[in-house]
Amino acid sequence: MMLAIEVKQLVKIYAGKVKALNGVDFTVKAGDIFALLGPNGSGKTTLMRILTTQLKPTSGEAHIFEFDVVKNDSQVRKNISYVPQETSVWTDISGFENLLIYAKIYGIPSKNRKDIIWDALDSMGLDAIANNLVKTYSGGMIRRLEIACAMIIKPKLMFLDEPTIGLDPSARKIVWEKLTSFRKEYGTTIFFNTHYMDEADHYSDEIAIMDKGKMVKFGTASELKHSIRREVIQFNLRNHGVDEIVLKIIRNMDFVSEVAIHNSELNVVVEDAETALPDIMEILRTKGITVDKISTARPTLDDAFLKYAGTMNLPNSIRSETTRRKDSL
Amino acid sequence: MIWDSLREMFAMIELELRRLKHDRTEMYTRAVQPILWLAVYGTVMGNVRAIPTDGIPYLDYITPGVLLQSTIFVSVFYGLTIVWERETGILKKLLVAPASRYATVIGRSIASGVRAVVQAFIIIPVAMLLGVRFVLNPLYFFTAFLILFFVSGGFAAISIFVASVMKTRERFMGIGQALIMPLFFVSNALYPIKLMPQILQYFAVFNPLTYAIDAVRGLVITGDLTNLALDIAAIAIFDIIMFTVASISFRKIIE
Repeated sequence: MMLAIEVKQLVKIYAGKVKALNGVDFTVKAGDIFALLGPNGSGKTTLMRILTTQLKPTSGEAHIFEFDVVKNDSQVRKNISYVPQETSVWTDISGFENLLIYAKIYGIPSKNRKDIIWDALDSMGLDAIANNLVKTYSGGMIRRLEIACAMIIKPKLMFLDEPTIGLDPSARKIVWEKLTSFRKEYGTTIFFNTHYMDEADHYSDEIAIMDKGKMVKFGTASELKHSIRREVIQFNLRNHGVDEIVLKIIRNMDFVSEVAIHNSELNVVVEDAETALPDIMEILRTKGITVDKISTARPTLDDAFLKYAGTMNLPNSIRSETTRRKDSL
Repeated sequence: MIWDSLREMFAMIELELRRLKHDRTEMYTRAVQPILWLAVYGTVMGNVRAIPTDGIPYLDYITPGVLLQSTIFVSVFYGLTIVWERETGILKKLLVAPASRYATVIGRSIASGVRAVVQAFIIIPVAMLLGVRFVLNPLYFFTAFLILFFVSGGFAAISIFVASVMKTRERFMGIGQALIMPLFFVSNALYPIKLMPQILQYFAVFNPLTYAIDAVRGLVITGDLTNLALDIAAIAIFDIIMFTVASISFRKIIE
Protein backbone atom coordinates (compact mmCIF):
# COMPACT_ATOMS: atom_id res chain seq x y z
CA MET A 1 0.00 0.00 0.00
CA MET A 2 1.48 3.30 -1.13
CA LEU A 3 1.46 6.02 1.49
CA ALA A 4 0.71 9.59 0.48
CA ILE A 5 1.63 11.02 3.86
CA GLU A 6 3.77 9.56 6.61
CA VAL A 7 4.38 11.59 9.74
CA LYS A 8 6.54 10.58 12.69
CA GLN A 9 6.83 12.38 16.02
CA LEU A 10 6.31 15.80 14.49
CA VAL A 11 6.85 18.72 16.86
CA LYS A 12 6.52 22.41 16.13
CA ILE A 13 7.31 25.05 18.71
CA TYR A 14 6.74 28.68 17.70
CA ALA A 15 9.20 31.30 18.97
CA GLY A 16 10.56 28.83 21.50
CA LYS A 17 7.37 28.91 23.53
CA VAL A 18 4.08 27.96 21.91
CA LYS A 19 3.90 24.22 21.33
CA ALA A 20 1.61 23.91 18.30
CA LEU A 21 2.41 20.27 17.52
CA ASN A 22 3.39 17.92 20.28
CA GLY A 23 4.49 14.65 18.68
CA VAL A 24 2.12 13.91 15.81
CA ASP A 25 2.13 10.44 14.21
CA PHE A 26 -0.09 9.30 11.36
CA THR A 27 -0.25 8.02 7.81
CA VAL A 28 -2.56 8.65 4.86
CA LYS A 29 -3.02 6.03 2.15
CA ALA A 30 -2.62 7.16 -1.46
CA GLY A 31 -5.95 7.86 -3.11
CA ASP A 32 -7.83 8.42 0.13
CA ILE A 33 -9.85 11.43 1.18
CA PHE A 34 -8.55 12.18 4.65
CA ALA A 35 -10.33 14.56 7.02
CA LEU A 36 -8.55 16.22 9.90
CA LEU A 37 -10.82 17.44 12.68
CA GLY A 38 -9.92 19.39 15.76
CA PRO A 39 -10.91 22.42 17.78
CA ASN A 40 -9.50 25.86 16.96
CA GLY A 41 -5.87 26.08 17.95
CA SER A 42 -5.38 22.32 18.02
CA GLY A 43 -2.59 22.55 15.45
CA LYS A 44 -4.41 21.56 12.25
CA THR A 45 -3.25 24.52 10.19
CA THR A 46 0.32 24.29 11.51
CA LEU A 47 0.39 20.62 10.55
CA MET A 48 -0.85 21.43 7.07
CA ARG A 49 1.67 24.23 6.65
CA ILE A 50 4.51 21.89 7.60
CA LEU A 51 3.28 19.18 5.23
CA THR A 52 3.11 21.75 2.43
CA THR A 53 6.74 22.84 3.18
CA GLN A 54 5.79 26.37 4.23
CA LEU A 55 7.10 25.88 7.75
CA LYS A 56 9.91 23.72 9.07
CA PRO A 57 9.14 21.37 11.96
CA THR A 58 11.09 21.81 15.20
CA SER A 59 11.68 18.05 15.29
CA GLY A 60 10.29 14.84 13.86
CA GLU A 61 9.80 13.77 10.27
CA ALA A 62 7.19 14.04 7.58
CA HIS A 63 7.19 12.43 4.15
CA ILE A 64 4.96 13.11 1.18
CA PHE A 65 5.10 10.23 -1.29
CA GLU A 66 8.39 9.29 0.37
CA PHE A 67 9.92 12.76 -0.09
CA ASP A 68 11.04 14.44 3.11
CA VAL A 69 9.27 17.79 3.56
CA VAL A 70 12.45 19.46 4.75
CA LYS A 71 15.22 17.80 2.72
CA ASN A 72 13.29 17.27 -0.53
CA ASP A 73 10.91 20.19 -0.22
CA SER A 74 11.05 21.11 -3.89
CA GLN A 75 10.14 17.53 -4.89
CA VAL A 76 7.27 17.64 -2.41
CA ARG A 77 5.98 20.90 -3.89
CA LYS A 78 5.97 19.41 -7.39
CA ASN A 79 3.50 16.74 -6.26
CA ILE A 80 1.07 18.75 -4.19
CA SER A 81 -1.27 21.65 -4.44
CA TYR A 82 -2.72 23.63 -1.63
CA VAL A 83 -5.79 25.75 -1.07
CA PRO A 84 -5.37 27.93 2.02
CA GLN A 85 -8.24 28.96 4.22
CA GLU A 86 -8.06 32.61 3.18
CA THR A 87 -8.74 33.89 -0.34
CA SER A 88 -5.77 32.96 -2.47
CA VAL A 89 -6.57 34.38 -5.91
CA TRP A 90 -5.85 37.85 -7.25
CA THR A 91 -9.13 39.69 -7.33
CA ASP A 92 -8.04 42.47 -9.69
CA ILE A 93 -7.57 40.17 -12.68
CA SER A 94 -9.97 37.69 -14.29
CA GLY A 95 -10.52 34.08 -13.30
CA PHE A 96 -8.89 32.87 -16.50
CA GLU A 97 -5.85 35.07 -15.89
CA ASN A 98 -5.45 33.67 -12.39
CA LEU A 99 -5.25 30.18 -13.79
CA LEU A 100 -2.92 31.37 -16.54
CA ILE A 101 -0.47 32.87 -14.03
CA TYR A 102 -0.52 29.71 -11.91
CA ALA A 103 -0.13 27.54 -15.00
CA LYS A 104 2.97 29.54 -15.90
CA ILE A 105 4.35 29.37 -12.37
CA TYR A 106 3.95 25.59 -12.49
CA GLY A 107 5.47 25.37 -15.95
CA ILE A 108 2.54 23.75 -17.74
CA PRO A 109 3.70 23.59 -21.39
CA SER A 110 2.22 26.35 -23.53
CA LYS A 111 0.84 23.99 -26.17
CA ASN A 112 -1.79 22.46 -23.90
CA ARG A 113 -1.96 25.22 -21.29
CA LYS A 114 -5.16 26.75 -22.58
CA ASP A 115 -6.95 23.39 -22.90
CA ILE A 116 -6.03 22.45 -19.32
CA ILE A 117 -7.21 25.82 -18.01
CA TRP A 118 -10.53 25.66 -19.86
CA ASP A 119 -11.05 22.07 -18.72
CA ALA A 120 -10.59 23.14 -15.11
CA LEU A 121 -12.88 26.16 -15.54
CA ASP A 122 -15.44 23.97 -17.24
CA SER A 123 -15.42 21.27 -14.58
CA MET A 124 -15.75 23.89 -11.85
CA GLY A 125 -18.66 25.51 -13.68
CA LEU A 126 -16.81 28.79 -14.14
CA ASP A 127 -16.49 28.85 -17.94
CA ALA A 128 -19.22 31.47 -18.41
CA ILE A 129 -17.59 33.99 -16.06
CA ALA A 130 -13.95 33.13 -16.74
CA ASN A 131 -13.18 36.52 -18.23
CA ASN A 132 -14.82 38.58 -15.51
CA LEU A 133 -12.72 40.15 -12.79
CA VAL A 134 -12.57 37.92 -9.72
CA LYS A 135 -13.77 40.78 -7.49
CA THR A 136 -17.20 40.35 -9.09
CA TYR A 137 -17.39 36.66 -8.03
CA SER A 138 -19.37 35.28 -5.10
CA GLY A 139 -17.65 33.45 -2.25
CA GLY A 140 -18.57 30.09 -3.73
CA MET A 141 -17.22 31.01 -7.16
CA ILE A 142 -13.93 32.19 -5.64
CA ARG A 143 -13.58 28.89 -3.77
CA ARG A 144 -14.25 26.94 -6.95
CA LEU A 145 -11.67 29.06 -8.79
CA GLU A 146 -9.15 28.29 -6.07
CA ILE A 147 -9.84 24.60 -6.41
CA ALA A 148 -9.51 24.94 -10.18
CA CYS A 149 -6.07 26.51 -9.56
CA ALA A 150 -5.18 23.49 -7.46
CA MET A 151 -6.46 21.10 -10.15
CA ILE A 152 -4.61 22.38 -13.20
CA ILE A 153 -1.35 20.80 -12.14
CA LYS A 154 -3.04 17.42 -11.60
CA PRO A 155 -1.41 16.99 -8.18
CA LYS A 156 -0.95 13.60 -6.55
CA LEU A 157 -1.99 15.13 -3.26
CA MET A 158 -4.24 18.08 -2.61
CA PHE A 159 -4.29 19.98 0.69
CA LEU A 160 -7.45 21.91 1.48
CA ASP A 161 -7.57 24.09 4.58
CA GLU A 162 -11.25 24.41 5.50
CA PRO A 163 -12.33 24.23 1.86
CA THR A 164 -15.95 25.20 2.38
CA ILE A 165 -15.73 27.72 5.20
CA GLY A 166 -18.27 30.52 4.74
CA LEU A 167 -20.11 28.85 1.87
CA ASP A 168 -23.84 28.23 1.77
CA PRO A 169 -25.02 24.59 1.82
CA SER A 170 -25.58 24.34 -1.93
CA ALA A 171 -22.18 25.85 -2.71
CA ARG A 172 -20.59 23.41 -0.25
CA LYS A 173 -22.29 20.53 -1.97
CA ILE A 174 -21.12 21.63 -5.41
CA VAL A 175 -17.52 22.01 -4.20
CA TRP A 176 -17.54 18.50 -2.78
CA GLU A 177 -19.13 16.97 -5.85
CA LYS A 178 -16.38 18.51 -7.99
CA LEU A 179 -13.68 17.32 -5.60
CA THR A 180 -14.93 13.75 -5.45
CA SER A 181 -15.28 13.51 -9.21
CA PHE A 182 -11.76 14.94 -9.60
CA ARG A 183 -10.46 12.31 -7.20
CA LYS A 184 -12.28 9.62 -9.13
CA GLU A 185 -10.77 10.76 -12.40
CA TYR A 186 -7.15 11.27 -11.31
CA GLY A 187 -6.82 9.22 -8.13
CA THR A 188 -5.68 12.31 -6.25
CA THR A 189 -5.27 11.98 -2.50
CA ILE A 190 -7.17 14.71 -0.68
CA PHE A 191 -6.23 15.90 2.80
CA PHE A 192 -8.54 18.47 4.35
CA ASN A 193 -9.26 20.29 7.61
CA THR A 194 -12.78 21.11 8.54
CA HIS A 195 -15.17 22.13 11.27
CA TYR A 196 -18.13 20.72 9.37
CA MET A 197 -18.61 17.22 10.77
CA ASP A 198 -21.11 16.30 8.07
CA GLU A 199 -18.46 16.81 5.38
CA ALA A 200 -16.03 14.54 7.16
CA ASP A 201 -18.86 12.06 7.63
CA HIS A 202 -20.00 12.05 4.00
CA TYR A 203 -16.89 12.52 1.95
CA SER A 204 -13.89 11.14 3.82
CA ASP A 205 -12.44 7.66 3.80
CA GLU A 206 -10.61 8.24 7.03
CA ILE A 207 -10.79 10.77 9.82
CA ALA A 208 -8.26 11.90 12.38
CA ILE A 209 -9.15 13.96 15.40
CA MET A 210 -6.52 16.29 16.74
CA ASP A 211 -6.39 18.08 20.07
CA LYS A 212 -3.71 20.19 21.75
CA GLY A 213 -1.12 19.36 19.12
CA LYS A 214 -1.63 15.61 19.20
CA MET A 215 -3.62 13.06 17.25
CA VAL A 216 -6.17 11.63 19.62
CA LYS A 217 -8.24 9.30 17.43
CA PHE A 218 -8.27 7.73 13.97
CA GLY A 219 -10.88 5.78 12.07
CA THR A 220 -13.58 5.85 9.44
CA ALA A 221 -16.66 7.90 10.22
CA SER A 222 -18.63 4.84 11.25
CA GLU A 223 -15.80 3.44 13.36
CA LEU A 224 -15.57 6.70 15.23
CA LYS A 225 -19.29 6.81 15.83
CA HIS A 226 -19.35 3.21 17.02
CA SER A 227 -16.31 3.67 19.20
CA ILE A 228 -18.32 5.87 21.51
CA ARG A 229 -20.60 3.02 22.61
CA ARG A 230 -22.77 5.43 24.37
CA GLU A 231 -25.95 7.33 23.90
CA VAL A 232 -26.88 10.75 25.11
CA ILE A 233 -30.09 11.47 26.97
CA GLN A 234 -31.02 15.09 26.91
CA PHE A 235 -33.38 16.50 29.53
CA ASN A 236 -34.82 19.95 29.03
CA LEU A 237 -35.47 21.16 32.55
CA ARG A 238 -38.17 23.63 33.42
CA ASN A 239 -36.08 25.53 35.94
CA HIS A 240 -32.58 26.70 35.24
CA GLY A 241 -29.92 24.37 36.52
CA VAL A 242 -29.61 21.48 38.88
CA ASP A 243 -27.68 21.60 42.10
CA GLU A 244 -24.34 19.84 42.43
CA ILE A 245 -25.73 17.16 44.77
CA VAL A 246 -28.18 15.89 42.17
CA LEU A 247 -25.48 15.89 39.52
CA LYS A 248 -23.29 13.90 41.84
CA ILE A 249 -25.99 11.29 42.46
CA ILE A 250 -26.55 10.84 38.74
CA ARG A 251 -22.86 10.77 38.06
CA ASN A 252 -22.36 8.01 40.62
CA MET A 253 -24.87 5.66 39.00
CA ASP A 254 -22.80 2.86 37.53
CA PHE A 255 -24.24 2.99 33.98
CA VAL A 256 -23.64 6.75 33.67
CA SER A 257 -20.37 7.73 32.09
CA GLU A 258 -20.71 11.50 31.76
CA VAL A 259 -22.99 14.27 32.95
CA ALA A 260 -22.98 17.80 31.67
CA ILE A 261 -25.31 20.70 32.27
CA HIS A 262 -25.66 23.72 30.07
CA ASN A 263 -28.34 26.25 31.12
CA SER A 264 -31.52 24.21 31.36
CA GLU A 265 -30.19 21.37 29.25
CA LEU A 266 -28.94 18.32 31.13
CA ASN A 267 -27.01 15.78 29.09
CA VAL A 268 -26.37 12.35 30.51
CA VAL A 269 -24.22 9.90 28.64
CA VAL A 270 -25.06 6.24 29.16
CA GLU A 271 -24.41 2.97 27.39
CA ASP A 272 -28.05 2.17 26.84
CA ALA A 273 -30.62 4.92 27.05
CA GLU A 274 -33.71 2.71 27.28
CA THR A 275 -32.69 0.99 30.53
CA ALA A 276 -31.06 4.03 32.09
CA LEU A 277 -33.90 6.46 31.54
CA PRO A 278 -36.35 5.22 34.21
CA ASP A 279 -33.70 5.34 36.96
CA ILE A 280 -32.57 8.84 36.11
CA MET A 281 -36.17 10.05 35.87
CA GLU A 282 -36.79 8.64 39.31
CA ILE A 283 -33.94 10.65 40.79
CA LEU A 284 -35.03 13.85 39.11
CA ARG A 285 -38.59 13.37 40.29
CA THR A 286 -37.64 12.72 43.93
CA LYS A 287 -35.51 15.87 43.87
CA GLY A 288 -38.48 17.85 42.59
CA ILE A 289 -37.03 18.67 39.20
CA THR A 290 -39.57 19.05 36.43
CA VAL A 291 -38.59 17.78 33.02
CA ASP A 292 -40.22 19.40 29.99
CA LYS A 293 -38.81 17.23 27.29
CA ILE A 294 -36.60 14.19 26.92
CA SER A 295 -34.74 13.20 23.82
CA THR A 296 -32.16 10.56 23.19
CA ALA A 297 -29.50 10.67 20.54
CA ARG A 298 -27.47 8.01 18.86
CA PRO A 299 -23.85 9.01 18.53
CA THR A 300 -22.93 11.29 15.65
CA LEU A 301 -19.54 12.38 14.49
CA ASP A 302 -20.08 15.52 16.56
CA ASP A 303 -20.25 13.37 19.66
CA ALA A 304 -17.08 11.58 18.69
CA PHE A 305 -15.44 14.92 18.12
CA LEU A 306 -16.60 16.26 21.47
CA LYS A 307 -15.46 13.16 23.26
CA TYR A 308 -12.00 12.91 21.78
CA ALA A 309 -11.24 16.58 21.32
CA GLY A 310 -12.55 17.26 24.80
CA THR A 311 -14.42 20.49 24.36
CA MET A 312 -17.56 19.20 26.10
CA ASN A 313 -18.33 21.23 29.16
CA LEU A 314 -17.40 18.65 31.75
CA PRO A 315 -16.10 19.04 35.28
CA ASN A 316 -12.47 17.97 35.66
CA SER A 317 -13.24 14.88 37.71
CA ILE A 318 -15.43 13.52 34.92
CA ARG A 319 -12.80 14.33 32.36
CA SER A 320 -10.20 12.25 34.10
CA GLU A 321 -12.71 9.47 34.55
CA THR A 322 -13.49 9.38 30.84
CA THR A 323 -9.81 9.39 30.05
CA ARG A 324 -9.36 6.39 32.29
CA ARG A 325 -12.28 4.67 30.63
CA LYS A 326 -10.80 5.36 27.23
CA ASP A 327 -7.50 3.89 28.33
CA SER A 328 -9.10 0.74 29.60
CA LEU A 329 -10.94 0.17 26.31
CA MET B 1 14.80 24.58 -9.41
CA ILE B 2 16.39 27.48 -11.29
CA TRP B 3 13.95 27.13 -14.15
CA ASP B 4 11.07 26.92 -11.71
CA SER B 5 12.30 30.11 -10.10
CA LEU B 6 12.83 32.02 -13.35
CA ARG B 7 9.38 30.96 -14.54
CA GLU B 8 7.84 32.27 -11.36
CA MET B 9 9.65 35.60 -11.73
CA PHE B 10 8.38 36.04 -15.28
CA ALA B 11 4.88 35.04 -14.21
CA MET B 12 5.03 37.72 -11.50
CA ILE B 13 5.99 40.34 -14.09
CA GLU B 14 3.14 39.23 -16.32
CA LEU B 15 0.78 39.42 -13.36
CA GLU B 16 1.70 43.08 -12.81
CA LEU B 17 1.15 43.92 -16.47
CA ARG B 18 -2.25 42.25 -16.41
CA ARG B 19 -3.21 44.10 -13.24
CA LEU B 20 -2.20 47.37 -14.85
CA LYS B 21 -4.23 46.53 -17.92
CA HIS B 22 -7.38 46.16 -15.81
CA ASP B 23 -6.90 49.22 -13.61
CA ARG B 24 -4.78 52.19 -14.56
CA THR B 25 -6.18 54.64 -12.01
CA GLU B 26 -3.28 54.21 -9.62
CA MET B 27 -0.83 54.80 -12.43
CA TYR B 28 -2.37 58.18 -13.23
CA THR B 29 -2.86 59.36 -9.67
CA ARG B 30 0.71 58.46 -8.83
CA ALA B 31 1.86 60.63 -11.71
CA VAL B 32 0.39 63.78 -10.15
CA GLN B 33 3.13 64.33 -7.58
CA PRO B 34 6.13 64.04 -9.92
CA ILE B 35 4.39 66.25 -12.45
CA LEU B 36 3.96 68.90 -9.73
CA TRP B 37 7.65 68.65 -8.87
CA LEU B 38 8.54 69.30 -12.49
CA ALA B 39 5.84 71.75 -13.54
CA VAL B 40 5.70 73.86 -10.37
CA TYR B 41 8.82 73.42 -8.27
CA GLY B 42 11.14 72.84 -11.22
CA THR B 43 9.87 75.77 -13.26
CA VAL B 44 9.93 78.22 -10.34
CA MET B 45 13.36 77.21 -9.07
CA GLY B 46 14.62 77.21 -12.62
CA ASN B 47 13.68 80.89 -12.89
CA VAL B 48 15.57 81.71 -9.70
CA ARG B 49 18.79 80.22 -11.10
CA ALA B 50 20.15 79.86 -7.56
CA ILE B 51 21.47 76.32 -7.83
CA PRO B 52 24.65 75.62 -9.80
CA THR B 53 23.93 72.78 -12.20
CA ASP B 54 26.95 72.90 -14.51
CA GLY B 55 25.09 74.72 -17.22
CA ILE B 56 22.17 72.30 -17.45
CA PRO B 57 18.73 73.96 -17.24
CA TYR B 58 17.37 73.33 -13.72
CA LEU B 59 14.28 71.50 -14.95
CA ASP B 60 16.47 69.14 -16.96
CA TYR B 61 18.70 68.69 -13.91
CA ILE B 62 15.93 67.53 -11.59
CA THR B 63 14.05 65.34 -14.10
CA PRO B 64 16.07 62.14 -13.38
CA GLY B 65 15.62 62.66 -9.63
CA VAL B 66 11.89 63.19 -9.94
CA LEU B 67 11.68 60.16 -12.19
CA LEU B 68 13.47 57.99 -9.65
CA GLN B 69 11.57 59.40 -6.71
CA SER B 70 8.29 58.50 -8.31
CA THR B 71 9.45 55.02 -9.27
CA ILE B 72 10.77 54.22 -5.81
CA PHE B 73 7.52 55.52 -4.36
CA VAL B 74 5.81 52.82 -6.38
CA SER B 75 8.22 50.14 -5.33
CA VAL B 76 8.37 51.02 -1.65
CA PHE B 77 4.60 50.77 -1.42
CA TYR B 78 4.92 47.47 -3.13
CA GLY B 79 5.90 45.92 0.19
CA LEU B 80 2.39 46.79 1.13
CA THR B 81 1.14 44.41 -1.52
CA ILE B 82 3.16 41.66 0.11
CA VAL B 83 1.67 42.48 3.52
CA TRP B 84 -1.74 42.44 1.91
CA GLU B 85 -1.06 39.13 0.23
CA ARG B 86 0.07 37.77 3.54
CA GLU B 87 -3.29 38.66 5.04
CA THR B 88 -4.97 36.83 2.18
CA GLY B 89 -3.81 33.36 1.25
CA ILE B 90 -1.89 34.26 -1.91
CA LEU B 91 1.53 34.27 -0.33
CA LYS B 92 0.91 30.89 1.27
CA LYS B 93 -0.09 29.46 -2.06
CA LEU B 94 2.97 30.91 -3.80
CA LEU B 95 5.17 29.32 -1.16
CA VAL B 96 3.78 25.92 -2.10
CA ALA B 97 4.65 26.43 -5.79
CA PRO B 98 7.72 24.56 -7.08
CA ALA B 99 9.90 27.67 -7.23
CA SER B 100 12.24 28.56 -4.39
CA ARG B 101 10.75 30.97 -1.88
CA TYR B 102 13.49 33.41 -2.79
CA ALA B 103 12.10 33.46 -6.29
CA THR B 104 8.85 34.64 -4.77
CA VAL B 105 10.61 37.51 -3.02
CA ILE B 106 12.82 38.51 -5.93
CA GLY B 107 10.02 37.96 -8.45
CA ARG B 108 7.69 40.20 -6.49
CA SER B 109 10.40 42.84 -6.12
CA ILE B 110 11.29 42.83 -9.78
CA ALA B 111 7.64 42.94 -10.77
CA SER B 112 7.47 46.30 -9.00
CA GLY B 113 10.02 47.46 -11.53
CA VAL B 114 7.32 46.95 -14.17
CA ARG B 115 5.11 49.51 -12.50
CA ALA B 116 8.04 51.82 -12.02
CA VAL B 117 8.97 51.74 -15.69
CA VAL B 118 5.37 52.31 -16.74
CA GLN B 119 5.39 55.32 -14.41
CA ALA B 120 8.39 56.70 -16.26
CA PHE B 121 6.54 56.42 -19.54
CA ILE B 122 4.07 59.00 -18.25
CA ILE B 123 6.59 61.37 -16.70
CA ILE B 124 9.02 61.56 -19.62
CA PRO B 125 6.46 62.92 -22.14
CA VAL B 126 5.31 65.48 -19.57
CA ALA B 127 8.92 66.56 -19.04
CA MET B 128 9.33 66.89 -22.81
CA LEU B 129 6.28 69.11 -22.97
CA LEU B 130 7.80 71.29 -20.26
CA GLY B 131 10.86 71.71 -22.46
CA VAL B 132 13.31 69.19 -21.00
CA ARG B 133 15.81 68.14 -23.67
CA PHE B 134 16.72 64.45 -23.52
CA VAL B 135 19.68 62.77 -25.18
CA LEU B 136 17.86 60.98 -27.96
CA ASN B 137 19.87 57.78 -28.01
CA PRO B 138 17.75 54.61 -27.85
CA LEU B 139 20.55 52.60 -26.29
CA TYR B 140 21.03 55.20 -23.54
CA PHE B 141 17.29 55.24 -22.89
CA PHE B 142 17.15 51.49 -22.73
CA THR B 143 20.01 51.42 -20.22
CA ALA B 144 18.30 54.13 -18.16
CA PHE B 145 15.11 52.07 -18.06
CA LEU B 146 17.06 49.00 -16.98
CA ILE B 147 18.57 51.05 -14.16
CA LEU B 148 15.11 52.29 -13.11
CA PHE B 149 13.90 48.72 -13.20
CA PHE B 150 16.66 47.33 -11.01
CA VAL B 151 16.74 50.24 -8.59
CA SER B 152 13.03 49.89 -7.97
CA GLY B 153 13.55 46.15 -7.50
CA GLY B 154 16.04 46.96 -4.75
CA PHE B 155 13.68 49.41 -3.09
CA ALA B 156 10.84 46.91 -3.30
CA ALA B 157 13.14 44.51 -1.48
CA ILE B 158 13.68 47.14 1.26
CA SER B 159 9.93 47.43 1.55
CA ILE B 160 9.56 43.66 1.85
CA PHE B 161 12.10 43.81 4.66
CA VAL B 162 10.17 46.64 6.36
CA ALA B 163 6.91 44.76 5.75
CA SER B 164 8.33 41.71 7.49
CA VAL B 165 9.05 43.82 10.55
CA MET B 166 5.80 45.79 10.50
CA LYS B 167 3.41 43.02 9.57
CA THR B 168 0.37 45.32 9.49
CA ARG B 169 -0.58 47.72 6.75
CA GLU B 170 -1.29 50.66 9.03
CA ARG B 171 2.18 50.68 10.53
CA PHE B 172 3.70 50.27 7.13
CA MET B 173 2.08 53.37 5.63
CA GLY B 174 3.97 55.75 7.93
CA ILE B 175 7.31 54.07 7.35
CA GLY B 176 6.94 54.31 3.58
CA GLN B 177 6.82 58.11 3.70
CA ALA B 178 9.52 58.35 6.33
CA LEU B 179 11.82 56.29 4.15
CA ILE B 180 11.44 57.95 0.78
CA MET B 181 11.51 61.67 1.47
CA PRO B 182 14.82 61.68 3.42
CA LEU B 183 16.44 59.57 0.71
CA PHE B 184 15.15 62.00 -1.90
CA PHE B 185 16.40 65.12 -0.11
CA VAL B 186 19.74 63.62 0.89
CA SER B 187 20.65 62.82 -2.70
CA ASN B 188 21.67 64.69 -5.81
CA ALA B 189 18.07 64.79 -7.02
CA LEU B 190 17.39 68.51 -6.53
CA TYR B 191 20.88 69.98 -5.99
CA PRO B 192 24.50 68.87 -6.26
CA ILE B 193 25.75 67.03 -3.19
CA LYS B 194 28.58 69.53 -2.65
CA LEU B 195 26.00 72.16 -1.64
CA MET B 196 24.97 70.05 1.38
CA PRO B 197 26.39 70.37 4.90
CA GLN B 198 29.34 68.03 5.36
CA ILE B 199 27.44 65.55 7.54
CA LEU B 200 24.67 65.13 4.98
CA GLN B 201 27.24 64.64 2.25
CA TYR B 202 28.41 61.49 4.04
CA PHE B 203 24.86 60.20 4.04
CA ALA B 204 24.44 61.05 0.38
CA VAL B 205 27.46 58.93 -0.50
CA PHE B 206 25.74 55.88 1.00
CA ASN B 207 22.40 56.71 -0.59
CA PRO B 208 21.73 54.35 -3.49
CA LEU B 209 19.46 56.98 -5.00
CA THR B 210 22.49 59.23 -5.55
CA TYR B 211 24.10 56.67 -7.86
CA ALA B 212 20.88 55.86 -9.66
CA ILE B 213 20.16 59.53 -10.32
CA ASP B 214 23.72 60.14 -11.46
CA ALA B 215 23.51 57.24 -13.90
CA VAL B 216 20.12 58.22 -15.32
CA ARG B 217 21.14 61.88 -15.54
CA GLY B 218 24.27 60.92 -17.45
CA LEU B 219 22.35 58.70 -19.82
CA VAL B 220 19.31 60.76 -20.71
CA ILE B 221 20.22 64.40 -19.91
CA THR B 222 23.94 65.15 -20.16
CA GLY B 223 25.18 62.19 -22.18
CA ASP B 224 28.19 62.11 -19.83
CA LEU B 225 28.90 58.46 -19.01
CA THR B 226 32.15 58.83 -17.05
CA ASN B 227 30.62 57.65 -13.78
CA LEU B 228 28.31 55.04 -15.29
CA ALA B 229 30.36 51.96 -14.41
CA LEU B 230 30.74 53.11 -10.79
CA ASP B 231 27.03 53.91 -10.58
CA ILE B 232 26.00 50.52 -11.95
CA ALA B 233 28.38 48.77 -9.57
CA ALA B 234 26.87 50.68 -6.64
CA ILE B 235 23.34 49.78 -7.75
CA ALA B 236 24.30 46.13 -8.21
CA ILE B 237 25.76 45.97 -4.69
CA PHE B 238 22.65 47.67 -3.32
CA ASP B 239 20.36 45.20 -5.11
CA ILE B 240 22.30 42.14 -4.00
CA ILE B 241 22.33 43.28 -0.37
CA MET B 242 18.64 44.18 -0.42
CA PHE B 243 17.51 40.98 -2.15
CA THR B 244 19.48 38.97 0.40
CA VAL B 245 18.11 40.88 3.37
CA ALA B 246 14.57 40.66 2.00
CA SER B 247 14.87 36.94 1.32
CA ILE B 248 16.09 36.28 4.84
CA SER B 249 13.53 38.50 6.53
CA PHE B 250 10.82 36.99 4.36
CA ARG B 251 10.74 34.04 6.74
CA LYS B 252 9.29 36.39 9.33
CA ILE B 253 6.41 37.26 7.03
CA ILE B 254 5.58 33.61 6.59
CA GLU B 255 5.46 32.60 10.25
